Amino acid sequence: MNCEQIAELLPDYLQSGLAREQASQVEQHCEHCANCAQDVAMWKKLALLPPDQPSPDSRARFDAMLHAYSPASSERSIEVSTGPSRQAFSPKIATPNVSDSSERVARWSFFAWLRSPLGAVAWSAALLIFGIFIGTRVKEASPAHPDEIAAMHAELTNMRQLVALSMLQQQSASERLQGVSWSGREAHLDPQIQSALLRTLRYDGSVDVRLAALDALSRHASQPQVRKGIGDALQEQQSPLVQVALIDQLAEWRDPDATQRLRNFQQTPNLNPAVRQRAEWAISKLQ
Amino acid sequence: MLQVRNGEVETLGVLFDRYQAPLFNFYAKMTQDRTVSEDLVQEVFLRILRYRQTYRPGTNFRTWMYQIARNSRIDQVRKVRPESPFTSEPLAPTTFADSAQQIQEAALLQTALMHLPEDKREILILSRFQELKYDEIALLLGCEVGAVKVRVHRALQQLREIFLQLESGPRPIDSRRAPADSATPTSPAPTSPTQTRRLQ
Repeated sequence: MNCEQIAELLPDYLQSGLAREQASQVEQHCEHCANCAQDVAMWKKLALLPPDQPSPDSRARFDAMLHAYSPASSERSIEVSTGPSRQAFSPKIATPNVSDSSERVARWSFFAWLRSPLGAVAWSAALLIFGIFIGTRVKEASPAHPDEIAAMHAELTNMRQLVALSMLQQQSASERLQGVSWSGREAHLDPQIQSALLRTLRYDGSVDVRLAALDALSRHASQPQVRKGIGDALQEQQSPLVQVALIDQLAEWRDPDATQRLRNFQQTPNLNPAVRQRAEWAISKLQ
Repeated sequence: MLQVRNGEVETLGVLFDRYQAPLFNFYAKMTQDRTVSEDLVQEVFLRILRYRQTYRPGTNFRTWMYQIARNSRIDQVRKVRPESPFTSEPLAPTTFADSAQQIQEAALLQTALMHLPEDKREILILSRFQELKYDEIALLLGCEVGAVKVRVHRALQQLREIFLQLESGPRPIDSRRAPADSATPTSPAPTSPTQTRRLQ
């Protein structure tokens, strides 16, 4: 027999699955064929590797697993399958492990109760009560101090005035405009602010700022100084826009001496015809 | 197994006692790792419990069990691969041999076995150590009995080649050792980097 034929028989020969006759044929071939003989020798040499024996605690691990496995509870079987480390199955730890799992189940059911509608109502009521309690405590802890608040308010007003005054001195027209609008916010006009606004109305280089100052001052018509200041400003104005605005303001206030002022103003040489016309209209309205 | 299937899960203990050693041996030879092997044995019996309803009466339990064992191993490889450099508790070569030469050969044999491709190592272990008949292996792998025989023979031939290469290759650490010292090796015979590259 050649090697090919022997190769067909060899696997069965190795597992001692050949009849005596065929087995002896293989043996005879191997006496002459080193290659096939080496295959057989290799197979036999594998006997040098003995069967490996599992450790003695393997059975205990199995018992713990069997104990934990309950056909009724699929949850438990999942838990067992996710903990394949050998410590989890060691006999010493097996019992606490089981109690731990039941504890977990108890905790789980508590959370399940919290999720139920009744639970939700209960804990929202508890939260509400807690919130009310905290709210009342905080209110008690910090009673209002009217004096302090008034002082703070005064301080804030001062601060705002300071800022407004400093802004009226700015180079930029837009910042001066902002300053004017800031200073006009107060219900009561501070004398310092008032004089600053009147100065702005007279001497500011920008028409817009002057108009804004007039607008801010117009809200404080009750103050005679403001009325007088506006009347004086009319004589010194060069811009027809501001002149018209001032004439309108005087006409609106219906001041007793406004008519005289307007007549004097009308006599000013080189007056813009439109302004002159406006002054005439105002005089007629005042009479 | 039929009793287990019908709900008497306690009787699985009998099957465990009978099959845990061969199963452990299979995994130990495949992985060279005791811890992994023991975990896998537990996993197999857990799966037997869980999938006991899929066992069909009249079929060979051993083949069915090895089927589960192979699947467990595949899943384990998939899970472990990312951190494979860390192997815990490598298997020390235990052997029946008493002479120093035989111990050395056993260590070499173990290394050679690990150098075999996984499928060849598996078929060799199943036929040689697990003593599964070729028709059982054919059932397990889903192929013809003839194909199994050819594959076993080829695996054996490749193992022989690897073994001879390891044996004849330069082994500087071993050759410098005294015979008495090499008689108690604690790890598989070391191979030089060039050898490993050639084997791959």
